[in-house]
Amino acid sequence: MQDANQGSVDPEFQQGIEDRESSPHEIPSLPVGQWLRQNLFSSWVNSVLTLFGGFLAFFALRGVLNFVFSENRQWDAVRTNLRALMTLSYPESQYIRVWVSLGFVAGLAGLSAGLWANWGGVSVKRVSTWLMGTGGLLAVCVIVREPSVILGSDGKVVRTLEGSLQRESFLDAMVNRSSWWIAAVVLLVAGIVLWRRFASATHRGSELPVTSVVFLGLGLAVLSLWIAPYGHYAFISETKSYVAESGRTVAFSTKLPWTVMLALLCSFFGLGRLLQRSEYGGLIKGASNLLWLVSPLTLFWVVLRDPALDYGHVISTDLPMGLAFGALGGAVLWSLTRTGVGEAGRLVATMLLGFAIFNWVAAFFGWYPMLQKARISFLLLAFAALLAPNFMGEIAKRRQLVLGWLGVTALVHYLATMINTPSTVEVQSSEFLGGLGLTLFVALIVVLLSFPLGVLLALGRTSKFPIFRMLSTSYIEVIRGVPLISVLIFFSVMVPLFLPDGMELAELAAVLTGYTLFSAAYLAENVRGGLQSITKGQYEAADAIGLTAAQRTSFIVLPQALTVSIPQLVGQVISTFKETSLLAIIGLFDFLRVANSVIPAQSEFLGVKREGILLVAIIYFFFNFTISKYSQRLERRVGLGER
Amino acid sequence: MASSAPPSIHHERPPFYRDVTVVKWAVQVLALMLTIGALWFLAKQAGDNLRASNVPTDYNFLSVNPGIDLSSGIDTDPDTGGRALWVGMVNTLRMAIAGIFVATIVGVLVGLARLSNNWLLRKLGTVFVETLRNVPLLVQILFYGAIFASLDRVSMDVGPINGWFHLSNKGLSMPRVHIADGFYQWMIVIGIGLFAANFLRKRRIAEQDLSGEETYPILSAFGLIVVIGILGWFVHPIFGFVGNIFSSLSSAVSAIPEGAVQVLIAFLSVGLSVYWIRGFLKSRRTPAGLAKLTDDDYFRMIFAATGGVLGAVFFLVLWPGLSSWIINSGSDLFEVLSNKFGNGRSGRPIDVALPEVVQIGKFPNYGPSGLNFSIGFAAVFFGVVFYTSAFIAEIVRGGILAVPKGQTEAAAALGLRRSIALRRVIIPQAARVMLPPLGNQYLNLTKNTSLAIAVGYSDIVQVGQTVYNQTGKTLPVVSIWMFFYLSCSLSISVVVNFFNVRMRIVER
Repeated sequence: MQDANQGSVDPEFQQGIEDRESSPHEIPSLPVGQWLRQNLFSSWVNSVLTLFGGFLAFFALRGVLNFVFSENRQWDAVRTNLRALMTLSYPESQYIRVWVSLGFVAGLAGLSAGLWANWGGVSVKRVSTWLMGTGGLLAVCVIVREPSVILGSDGKVVRTLEGSLQRESFLDAMVNRSSWWIAAVVLLVAGIVLWRRFASATHRGSELPVTSVVFLGLGLAVLSLWIAPYGHYAFISETKSYVAESGRTVAFSTKLPWTVMLALLCSFFGLGRLLQRSEYGGLIKGASNLLWLVSPLTLFWVVLRDPALDYGHVISTDLPMGLAFGALGGAVLWSLTRTGVGEAGRLVATMLLGFAIFNWVAAFFGWYPMLQKARISFLLLAFAALLAPNFMGEIAKRRQLVLGWLGVTALVHYLATMINTPSTVEVQSSEFLGGLGLTLFVALIVVLLSFPLGVLLALGRTSKFPIFRMLSTSYIEVIRGVPLISVLIFFSVMVPLFLPDGMELAELAAVLTGYTLFSAAYLAENVRGGLQSITKGQYEAADAIGLTAAQRTSFIVLPQALTVSIPQLVGQVISTFKETSLLAIIGLFDFLRVANSVIPAQSEFLGVKREGILLVAIIYFFFNFTISKYSQRLERRVGLGER
Repeated sequence: MASSAPPSIHHERPPFYRDVTVVKWAVQVLALMLTIGALWFLAKQAGDNLRASNVPTDYNFLSVNPGIDLSSGIDTDPDTGGRALWVGMVNTLRMAIAGIFVATIVGVLVGLARLSNNWLLRKLGTVFVETLRNVPLLVQILFYGAIFASLDRVSMDVGPINGWFHLSNKGLSMPRVHIADGFYQWMIVIGIGLFAANFLRKRRIAEQDLSGEETYPILSAFGLIVVIGILGWFVHPIFGFVGNIFSSLSSAVSAIPEGAVQVLIAFLSVGLSVYWIRGFLKSRRTPAGLAKLTDDDYFRMIFAATGGVLGAVFFLVLWPGLSSWIINSGSDLFEVLSNKFGNGRSGRPIDVALPEVVQIGKFPNYGPSGLNFSIGFAAVFFGVVFYTSAFIAEIVRGGILAVPKGQTEAAAALGLRRSIALRRVIIPQAARVMLPPLGNQYLNLTKNTSLAIAVGYSDIVQVGQTVYNQTGKTLPVVSIWMFFYLSCSLSISVVVNFFNVRMRIVER
């Protein structure tokens, strides 16, 4: 089930693979005839293979095109349900919240892209080859596709007396597809012009910035929303009817938000570029990273839910509690980082930890009431106190710890308050989001939560403590031996059984727990690979300069191990994302389920499955392909496989 | 304190709460107790809740008629819950084995295509791999399922070749090669043939090593098996007497007293731990006598001893039913074998049956004679095969690229032909790199067959879900799933490890 092999080909071979693959591109000056002879017809075996491959490619392409353009396809089903696929039944009147969230992400993405603007360039030659290739492929597609079925004046297919379909002649088909021809020719010409202008000897190696190519592409896509007649389609949930007007541009409520998104992306990119050079560049980079970490939770639980705050309770309880934890905890940490604290500090930290764990045990047995928020805060404070010896000494370092504590407290208390207040947004399904939103939410949460757990398990499995090793090993091996679907079913069906009286867990939360526990076992194996690649010398060196075990692990071992396992970790992220599709089986409304069961149940589109599933497949492909390509780039940048 | 003895500082014992060994074990024992406590608490909670909702956790449903119909399998109308789950297991294994076989072939071909000199094949391979591995398996399965479901309805004259191959929205139906009467006797002949062929192969190899002439050891061994197999086709009934041996074995097994088996198992449990501890002590022995044992070593020995004793107590006291179960099932097994080999089974070992379309009631359907694949099977099969083969292709490609170029050049310099160089030099080295990830993929494929639940193919998960929906016994069913999948994983890793060890570079 888990196929972490996406990136797990040994980096050294990966390098070799890329070297060998790129070699044909390095001699583009070969004349066409010679290139053909060398690459396709070098021997008679090769020629036979070429013919075979050609047939295969022809029939595969023809099959796909005929499937997509068949007169039996009801693409209306997908067009009218696009919104359902993205967010299921999020109320129309509150939809601005979705756009605000998306706008926040777009702005943040633009800002980060600008701040880290070291995107390099893409050679003009590659862009022009890409344009020419796309144009050529488009032309081939137009020719290969079967001639369309003739439609009568009533818009229905015309059949001959024997009952077979009547298709237009090949020439008619070619003429009728003139708009496709124009697109193909435009692409080809653009590619050739670029090639002629820039690929000459004087401009050899000239490059276009990646960002401008991306922005140009996005800009053209958004512009086409205003110009191209994609048609106006919508599903009206109140009347259970749908609007389908072809020949128009898309609805205003679609094109305006997307234009705003693009504007946000571009302007924040510019802002990021400006700030990058300012003296606060480093600080803003840190802040943007923190925002990325926090934004999923904030957006999903705060913006999309709209908590109805009870201000009396906030002022009487929540605020004072947060302030108290911030101030008292800060004071404790400040005193624990004094130089002379020594053993007493550790003792206090251990006692705090004991108290925090006891709190949770008490919660399980219901010995005494306490706000969950306070229990979490005590646990966090205990961890911060354990970390204190690492921040001992200078004022600046001590201040770092205390400031960090204040930030964490503020965040945790804010989120806890927001999550605990009921939402004013009423959604049909039990989750506040469905469709692609739910898929992304689950993937993000699982990746974020399983990471620390997986690292802990990997450390346990490689630890010198036999009982820890035994526990982690058996956990990892048992989880890796069973399929994810059985774990998810177990958690969605069984969790209520294991909870004490009076405690409840929403189905989504139960599934998230199970999925996180599952994913952590696989992540642990990937991290273990990295841990094993750390040589003994690193440990000895860390011991020699007098680091404690915790310091050695967090400052010497883990940074190196995690860097080495980046490809595997990215592969793990991709499989986690792919396997969110299993939510459809256990009854959550992710976008696969919308395509597979919700759309086919609508009276207009009874049984129309294939179109929706194909769209889902394309969206998954887009995300996964992008991530894996990006990870290869990242690998090259951190210099994996080059040492 | 005298300042003249600085070295003694190292021998001074720290206070117990700073003693590394004490802290280490205290923390570990605490963690173990916490884990066990948490598990115990959860189990108790589940037990209470189950009792409160009147669903006792027992395995009685295994012998009660569940009243369910399965969509496909060796028995579509099982008369007990255990039988239903067994059918599910067989379906899962069938899918996994067929899938592994085909996915390996497709994967190797695509992997080689990606390394080909031919530009077109290379690009096709890349498109295949990148498309299929980036689309989730479940999406693929549902898509294939939706396509198969939209095929034409089944009719009496359904094509493409009526009477031989049928393809419709009921699935695929084709000629079936099946085990007939004399198969098991014939297998004995084949077994003898294998033995003889192995002997011949070894002799031929020895001859070739001696004389240097090509003696075709594999080819001749293979030929011998074919000859013996054809001979056996006619003479196999003479092995009918084997059935009598099995039936007397069956009655012998059922005569064993239960207590003996019980004591034997307990003895085995203790004996195993004693054997392990002895071996462990031996491994810690140096020429100078027993090396100093660390606290970890003591822990291991105590752990092994406790495990052995606990196992003995468990088998002797807590689970007395186990021995009678072992005796009964052993006797049943021999009974079944004796039936299979019984005298008078003189028919052909293997037979072929053509598929047919029958009409019982209103609608035509496939008859039971052919090899029928339901839509669900086809969807899951194509799904796991394509998905896994994309990963296998990458493994094959990586493995072959991992063989240094010098090896190919050295083989060429020795004057080896390209085919021989590939077979004798490159593939053995590539296989060593490929095998562990390949085993992982086989495991993934087996686990992935559980997605069959989405298209209604009766694999173990789907059957299990139906069973617990009927009976409410969720926990026992989940435990059976876990047990089944863990044993599958274990067997695959044992097989892969076996080859891995065999192919390892022999170091000095």
